[in-house]
Order: sequence, then structure tokens, then C-alpha cells
Amino acid sequence: MSFEKQLNIIDYSLSSIWRRRVKSMGVMVVFAAVIFLLASFQMTTKALTNVARDTLVSAPEITVQKMRAGRQESIPVAYQTELVSIRGIKTITPRIWGYYFHETKGANLTILGLDPQSMPFGQDLGQAIDSGRLPNEHEAVLGQGAYAYLSSPGSAMFSLFRPDLTLKALTVSGTFKASTDLLTYDTLFMSLADAQDLFLMPEGMVTDLCVTVANPTEVPTISKKIAALLPDTRVVTRQQIQKTYQAVFGWRSGFASICLLTALASFIIFAWDKASGLTPEEKKEISILKIIGWQTSDVLALRFWEGLIVSTVSFLVGYTLAYVHVAFFEAGLFRPILIGWSVLHPALRLLPTIDLGETLLVLCLTVVPYLAATVIPAWRSAIIPADSALN
Amino acid sequence: MTAPLIELEKVCKTYNQGQLNEVKALHDVSLAIEPGVMVCLQGASGSGKSTLLSIIGCVFPPTSGRAAIAGKQLARMPDRFLTIHRRNTIGFIFQHFNILPGLTVLENITLPLMPLGIAPRARKERAERLMGMLSISHRANFPARQISGGELQRVAIARALINDPPIILADEPTAHLDHTLSLAFMEIMQELQRAGKTIILTSHDALITQHPAVERIIAIQDGEIHVP
Amino acid sequence: MFLNSWSVALSLLSLVVLILSAIAARTAISVLRYWDPASDSNRQIRLENETWLSSTLVQYAMGFQVLSLILFVLAADNFSKVISGAMCATGSLTANQYGMFVLFVKMLGAFCCGFWIVLHFLDISSERYPLLKTKYVALMCLLPLLLVDIVCQTLYIANLKPDIITSCCAVVFGEGGGNDGNLLGSMPQGLLLEVFYGTALLLAILGHFLYRRLNRLLLWLNGLVWLAFIGVSFVAITTVFSSYVYAMPYHHCPFCILKPEYHYIGFAIYGTMLPAGFFGLAAALVGVIPARYGLAEVVRRFQKKAVLWSSILLTLFVIVVSYHYVLYRFVGGEGS
Repeated sequence: MSFEKQLNIIDYSLSSIWRRRVKSMGVMVVFAAVIFLLASFQMTTKALTNVARDTLVSAPEITVQKMRAGRQESIPVAYQTELVSIRGIKTITPRIWGYYFHETKGANLTILGLDPQSMPFGQDLGQAIDSGRLPNEHEAVLGQGAYAYLSSPGSAMFSLFRPDLTLKALTVSGTFKASTDLLTYDTLFMSLADAQDLFLMPEGMVTDLCVTVANPTEVPTISKKIAALLPDTRVVTRQQIQKTYQAVFGWRSGFASICLLTALASFIIFAWDKASGLTPEEKKEISILKIIGWQTSDVLALRFWEGLIVSTVSFLVGYTLAYVHVAFFEAGLFRPILIGWSVLHPALRLLPTIDLGETLLVLCLTVVPYLAATVIPAWRSAIIPADSALN
Repeated sequence: MTAPLIELEKVCKTYNQGQLNEVKALHDVSLAIEPGVMVCLQGASGSGKSTLLSIIGCVFPPTSGRAAIAGKQLARMPDRFLTIHRRNTIGFIFQHFNILPGLTVLENITLPLMPLGIAPRARKERAERLMGMLSISHRANFPARQISGGELQRVAIARALINDPPIILADEPTAHLDHTLSLAFMEIMQELQRAGKTIILTSHDALITQHPAVERIIAIQDGEIHVP
Repeated sequence: MFLNSWSVALSLLSLVVLILSAIAARTAISVLRYWDPASDSNRQIRLENETWLSSTLVQYAMGFQVLSLILFVLAADNFSKVISGAMCATGSLTANQYGMFVLFVKMLGAFCCGFWIVLHFLDISSERYPLLKTKYVALMCLLPLLLVDIVCQTLYIANLKPDIITSCCAVVFGEGGGNDGNLLGSMPQGLLLEVFYGTALLLAILGHFLYRRLNRLLLWLNGLVWLAFIGVSFVAITTVFSSYVYAMPYHHCPFCILKPEYHYIGFAIYGTMLPAGFFGLAAALVGVIPARYGLAEVVRRFQKKAVLWSSILLTLFVIVVSYHYVLYRFVGGEGS
């Protein structure tokens, strides 16, 4: 019986929303907009961390960097001889990883110098190359963004300034696939010698050493051993990089959600106001319902279902729009905030995933406050006395 | 003589009790109404007529005294149980009809059945019978705001009858009707009375007060029953 | 670690629950002080209206508390991506001393809200509202629990330290694989399963008898066995059943079964087990209502319904939780 009663009340609440469609539409549009903002943010974060996770798969398990005065500095290639004694290390690859500021374009480029031959994941990098081949001497493979900036029509050549303002000429030998954009978009990949030459680094110095390990479960032990052997270095594991990405994205989206809470708060006030401001007709309606036998609890249930229906519709609309925004418009509204560590923003394709957890998260941030804010106005309307229908 | 359906004994009703704006609306009202009669309550506005109607209609309990409506003592009954008792025993017909203009005729009539958990099909069946009886079937799916005053009145009657209550309360039912419609209304009431319903009307309309079916007129003045 | 959407959502949710119940408790104070059913004063009328507000608020609070419980576990799983050494929710819940406690308090909070609602519906089925005072005293007791919930949750979040590459030379290493391992030490599987299925069988038999004839003593026994069964189930899910769901013999986590990778089977498992336990306990607890309140018939009807529901949910729970295990044991597949 009780179930049938709730069905009847839902039936009535649907017709009630429809009869007050202008008012309900107003609430729904604003609510959907708030949900859209929050959901877009959440989806963008999630999609970005997914992309980061996927691309980091090919990163070295351990990176060793030299530190001095709390800052990173060049590490001698010779350090690797110290590490040879550690069992479990598969390979050690010297790498130059740095940034080059392109003044005329105003863009920051990432320079990656590696010896493709000595590198165990050379194949991986090779697979990331869309067209062309791995760089030989005086050649470079460019990320999509870097290519767009540096290439000139009809010529595969381009030049960069060394720190002493002499020019270094390079030839494009290939480009990276768009699917690795998050990490390669602004990257120039060249041989170790070329990178050393570009940055005028002393012979035998690199920015870091990449260590691969035979058994992944030994990574923490080996890292500790490296740290003990080379006390002036910082040892970073891939897992840590992953967690840092996650944390950074998490912070940004957390910060953003706090900012968006103000939007939510103003919506809640708006919703409270809409729910409290009963017109004389609405008051009359409730007193009629009550005198012909509706309980206070029935009116409360009616208001609850109305709130739930309004929230559900707004949620579906807002969430769907957010999906479209992230998947098809590449989260145009927020990407600068979420990515933004380089002037060249990767134009990567974001693929939002819908999962229960994220959906529930957005639901809790939006629908719960809305329902909570409308309880008291709902109750106020439900206690309108029945006898007011008699006068 | 049958046991009274409505029995009030020394009923008092005080609004804003214990406050400065305290109003004694009813004072020691005792009254008994037998089942199956038609009674008219008469009184000026502010006489306590509406309050008496509300107590008989189980809208609120009296402040003191005994009020037994259809076998139940209302005294100190919480609102929740008053409502349950009200929807089973009382059918209301209001002065301004109190029909919701946005709903259709059918929806208006079946409104009291919704919180009882009666399925739409069963609700519709019950309403159709009543609409047929009151010849408004052709208006079933019209929005209530589009139908005439006489039809509205019959919608109100149908809504009052939908849960088959033993008592019908009609508050100034003819105040907004012309002579012909008023006569038709009284005819319906008379038929209901013959079918065993107890009917309580409030009115100043001579057409009602002098109607042959009205067996008794109860006059209220200053919160007391006035015996002329 | 407050700068994270999950932390924000959890805090917001707990705050909403606390505010709603605080408003409800305010009504409780005036009801306990001024309730006088014989009076027809405006205050009494207002109080009668306010009782509707408070019961509605507690119903909302319960709904949100259940949401908060689910969100907390999902958030823990998400936190594991940033906390050193944590691989899944178990790791982040044990990252500091508050995690598991908050989980427990949240569950207790949801149960207590549920019991209160049962009390409320029993109460309003009598014209005299005989449980009114009891109900509002109970409501006041609920508030500290919810306060503990939000305080400990805040402490939990505040004490979570994300594992970030620091700019100093010190290396922050995850405590290796050890920390993340298992919530509970290994147990003799055979014995545990015997206890689990034995208790379930006992509950089914008790339920059967109680449904045919309610008996106060048996109801209490039933309630106690349910309490034990909830504990046994948690242990059994953690140490035995979960690893069959994951098809990984060394992964014993009671939370990962909630993830989409395992078709959200955890929701079906906990969604049957906890309500079943709730009804089993509620049936016994309402037995303390004295007969003089004139609720005997309503209580009896509720107990019957509760026993029936707990039995139905128990059956479903045992089927769902055993599915992967049985499939693996007797069919030899991996069950998905």
C-alpha cells in the first residue's frame, strides 16, 4: 500500500513540476549549469590523470638526479659506474632533460637528449614516432606542438640558440604521435651529444640517469641502495612521479571544486529562495490537499520527490553536457587551469570515463546540498494548516 | 432513536490560548446530529460557525469538551490521526469550490484517493461512476479552469463523495450559483440524504434554509448555539 | 589533504548530516521540555509540526549517511593513488589510525539513524505517541556520534600525507609492499568458512522459526547471532571471498570488490549483508518496548516483517558472496 502511495505521490509531483514549469525550469537550468561546471572539472582531471598514467608506462622505473644546495644540477655520467655493483639493475641510461625557451615564439620547449641505441626503451620511443625515424647526428624528432612552431614550409631544417647565442642547426627526422601529446607535445628528441651541445654542457655531464630494473618489486630496495651509494643524489621512482601527477591534478581539481562551491552556494541560496517563496495559489493548493486527506508527511514526500526529480533531470543534463564538453570540446573552459605547465598546451584528446565513483562524487557535491537546502522550505509548506482551505 | 453520528458536549475552542490575542471562538457548545439528516448551520461571520464546521469536519480538535464524530473522540487526537479519520468520514464542499485549476476534472476528483495508495485505474473507475451520476463525464479530461461554475460545483461534489464518506459538509455551497443551479444542487443533496448520507450545510440562502429537506436549523451566535 | 575533490565532498556531506541532525535535535529539546498533549496552545501546535520536521531531517540524514559511507570507501580508494605505499583502499584506510575508525563510526551512524526511523514509525502508529520522549532522547544521543564522525574524518583527511617528489634530497619511499598487504592476518580458511556458513545456516533456521512464531528470547538470540555474523562476514569477505573475486590468491581486500573492474559486486554484497543485519538487529531491539505502551501489535508486525526481510537478504547475500568461490571451487573457472 505504502509503495502504491509513493507511486501516486510521484505521479502528482511530476504533474506539479509540469504545472509550474517556468519556475522549475529556472531552477533546473541553473542547477544543471552548476553540475556541468563541477562534472567537467572532475572529468577533465580524471581524463588527464588517465592520460598521464598511460604515457608514464614507458618512463624509467628510477631516475637519479644530482642535487646541490637543494637544487638539481648536472650529474656526471661517470656516476653510473658506481651503480653497476647493485644487483637487479638492468640498464643505466644517461639522459638530458631540459627546457628551451623559444623567444620569438614565446614558447617553452622540452628537450630530450638520449642515445636511442643505448636505451632499452628505444623501441618504445620508436613506436611513439608517427613518421620518420629515430634521430641521428644533428637531427631531432619533434612533438606535434614543437613541430608546428619550428617547422618552416619547404624546409626540414631549423635552428636554436645555444646559451652563448650561437646558432645550432637541426634537421627534423620525424614527429611523435598525437596520442602521446601530454608528454611529447612540446618535445624535441635528439641524441645525447646534440643536447649536450645545445645546452653547452661539459663533456660527460647529463641531467639525470635513468635506471631500469629487472624485477619491478625490487624498485624500492634498489632505490634505497642507490641513495646510499650516491648520497648527493635524489632518487625518484616512476610510482612517485605517478602519484605526484595525481596529487597535483587532485589539488587543482580540489581547489577548483572549492571555488566552484561558491557557485554551488549561490545556487543553494537561489534554490532555498525559490522553494520558500510560495505563491498564494501554492499555499491554497496545499491547504486543499491537506483538508481532503493528505498528511503532512504526504506533502513532505511530495516535496521530496519534486526535489529528487528536479535534481535527477538537472544532473543528467549537466553531466551529459560535461561529457560532451570534455570529450568533444576538449574541456575548453578549464584546460588552461588543469594543464598549464608550459605555454604550449597539449591539444590532446581527452577521453572521459564514466564510473560510479566519480558520478557519486559529483552527486554528493551537488544534489545532496540541494536536497538538504530544500527540506526546511518543504516542511514550511507542508505545515500549512488544513483549515485555511475553509476561509 | 438512532445513536447520534455527531455528538458535541460542552465543546470549547480557544485560539492562541494563553496569549494576549486569545480568542474564544466556541463556548460550551453541545449538539447531537443523527445519521441521515440534513442540517443547516446559520450564523454571521465571526460567530464561530466556521470553527464549529472545522470541529465537525475533524480539521482540528476542540480545546476542551467532548466531540465524537462517527464514533471517534476527537479530543487530543494528533493531527495525523485526525486526517485519517477525516478522509474516511467527511466529504467537503467548499464555498469557492477549491478545485485546483491546473488539474483536469478527473485528477481533481481523485485527489483524495492518492494518499490512500489507490492505483490510477481503480481511482479512475470510482471517479467515472460518480461523474456519470453527476453527468460531467464528458468533462473528465478538461482542465478545471475551462469548465463552467455549475460543472465546477458538481466536480466538487464528486470529489467530496469519492471516498464514500458518511458525512457531507458543505460551506455556503450556493453562494456563487444562480437560482437554477442552486436548486439543482439541493436536489443532489436530497438524493444523497435519501441514500443515507448525513448532510450539514452552512448558508444564509433562503433557498436552503427554507428547503423542505432541511430538517433542522442550528443558529450560532457569539460562539454559542442560539435558541430563538 | 583537504585540497582534493573527494575530501571536499566528504567534508561537505558530513557537515550536511551534522547540520540536519542538529536542527532536528533543537526540536528535540523543546519537545522534551514543553510537549503537552493535553494542551491546545499555539506552542503545542508548533511542536506537533516540528516533530514532522525532525523526523524528516533524520530520514534525510540517514540517506546522506549511507551515501557518505559509500563515498568514504571510494574516496579511500582514490587517495591510495597519492599516498605513499598504498595500492588500494586498505592501504589508505590504514595510512593513519583514524581511517578504520571513521569507517566504523559511519556504519554505526547509518545503523543508528535507521533504528531511530524504526522507532519513529512505531511511535506514530499510536494516537498517544507513546515513544515520543524516548525517541527524542535517542535523537540527542545520535548527535555526539555524528560529531565524532565528522571530527575523526577531518583528522583522518588532515593526517593523510600525499607522496610527492620533494625538492629536498631526502627520498620519501613508500614503505614498500608490506604495508599495503592485508587488513587481517591469514586465518585457517576451512575453519572460517565453516563458521561463516554455520552461522548463516543458524540464522536461516532461527529466521524460519521466528517467522512462524515470534519469541522474545529467540529474537534476542537472533539479534546476537546477527551481530556476530556481521563480524564473521567481514572477516570472511576480507580473507576468503574477496580473493576469489579478484582471482588473485594474495589480494585480500574488502573494498576493491566495490570497483567497476569487479562489476561492482561489492555493492551487492554489502547492500544485502548490512540491511539484513540491520533488520535482524532491529527485530530484537524493538522487543524492549514495554507492552504498556500499547504498541504490541505494531511491534509484532514489524518484527515479523523484519525477520522476513533479514532472511530474504541473508539468502541473497550468501548467494552473491559465494558465487565466485563456488564457481572457482566446483566449476574451476575464474567466474566472470
